[in-house]
Amino acid sequence: MSCTHDLEALTKVVLNNLENQHDWTETKVHTQPDLPRQIIHGLPPKRLYVHPDEQIDIIRAEKARNGDRIPQPPELEWVLPLHIAEKWSPSRFAAVFDALAAIPPGGNSLAQDLALDSGDADAQWKLWRGPKRGKRLLLATVQDDSTVTYYFMHDGIVKPRQN
Amino acid sequence: MATSVADRQVRISKIAGRYLVFDIDDVAYIRRHHGICAVFTGTMPQNPTQNVFLGLPIELYAEEARLLVDKKVGYIADDANDHLSRLKSLDEPSRKAYLQSLKTQRKNAQLVIDEARAQSQAKHKSKRKDKAPKLEPSESTSTKEDDTGLFDATPAKPAQVVVAKQALPAVTPTSTGQLISKGDGAAIQVPKSYPLYAYLNKRGYFITPGLRFGGDYSVYPGDPFRYHAHFMANSYGWDEQIPMLDIVTSGRLGTSVKKSFLMGAQQPVDDDNGDAAGDSRVRVFCIEWAGM
Repeated sequence: MSCTHDLEALTKVVLNNLENQHDWTETKVHTQPDLPRQIIHGLPPKRLYVHPDEQIDIIRAEKARNGDRIPQPPELEWVLPLHIAEKWSPSRFAAVFDALAAIPPGGNSLAQDLALDSGDADAQWKLWRGPKRGKRLLLATVQDDSTVTYYFMHDGIVKPRQN
Repeated sequence: MATSVADRQVRISKIAGRYLVFDIDDVAYIRRHHGICAVFTGTMPQNPTQNVFLGLPIELYAEEARLLVDKKVGYIADDANDHLSRLKSLDEPSRKAYLQSLKTQRKNAQLVIDEARAQSQAKHKSKRKDKAPKLEPSESTSTKEDDTGLFDATPAKPAQVVVAKQALPAVTPTSTGQLISKGDGAAIQVPKSYPLYAYLNKRGYFITPGLRFGGDYSVYPGDPFRYHAHFMANSYGWDEQIPMLDIVTSGRLGTSVKKSFLMGAQQPVDDDNGDAAGDSRVRVFCIEWAGM
């Protein structure tokens, strides 16, 4: 029981950090029987992740629109709260990814809104918010001084962003 | 060309525990068709302390040697060991076969020698015929044995000796290749990261040693001459407990060299699934800084 309590405290720290330091909205704690712990999903203030191939598709689409910038509203992201003292095995990460859908609940309607907003609903760049989105997870690692670091973990081979 | 590529067998020499390839065509072949660059290690004989601009041979990782043998495009030649172990344990039929083959070689050598001799004799004869008209005035003297002996004694005499001996010439075999069967890959001790290596190689990635970016492997999306590395990769056990700090550290390191940190692990084989090849059981995760 105490274990559950610890995890709840951990989730709360991450939730607070997301909402108050990083201005996330629509944060929700997600429980699922096949998940080892609670997971958070929420909406960052600006888009956190753009796949390099998606970036190419966006640039292509912008060129077709005579250089008009296509607005990139944020996407819902999964967040896995972790403590720095923990040890995780690849099998545990695999279990989390197997249990999760690529898009957090509510994310599909967001993607559809976007598709309706801009006329060309079948454009390549939009698929990245829907069927082409790979599974990814934000690892929120907490240290006792309330530092939280965020790293993306992708399921499978995903090439790095051009940063 | 296509057929020669199809059935090419790369000779991987195992020398002092290292896997070396000496043939430049093999080096080009494994680089082009199997995504293996390996490391050039050869120096010039005049300058053995050379440490840049190295040449042949290339040294393969144990993983790379194993991969080539598993794909049946290469074999391990461990000459020092094989001579000691396999030649001693040779069974009677193969021993006889080898002796027979030696005999055949000697016969062939005899044929070649005979042919060469016949040719040279014919040459001398025709020379003599050419010279004959000039020598005609003194023909009576030239027929004498001691006179012609000056020119003909050396080639003529050994021919007679050989015929008299009726023995085949001795040969020194330059290779024991047919005595030693090609080794299998099972003997190659590979590190635990081999499944990850094979998984990435199969997907067209080129892999070089990882020290320069701080991991087990540096992973390139194509030939390193053309691309920057995409990943620094580490291999873990399926149930290995990895401290979160290691993951954060590696993620940070990967991001700071503009790469993604790739961690791979192979799921152990369970009984209901017979896929022992293992490639599909490798699970891979990529980690990069979220930027927040």
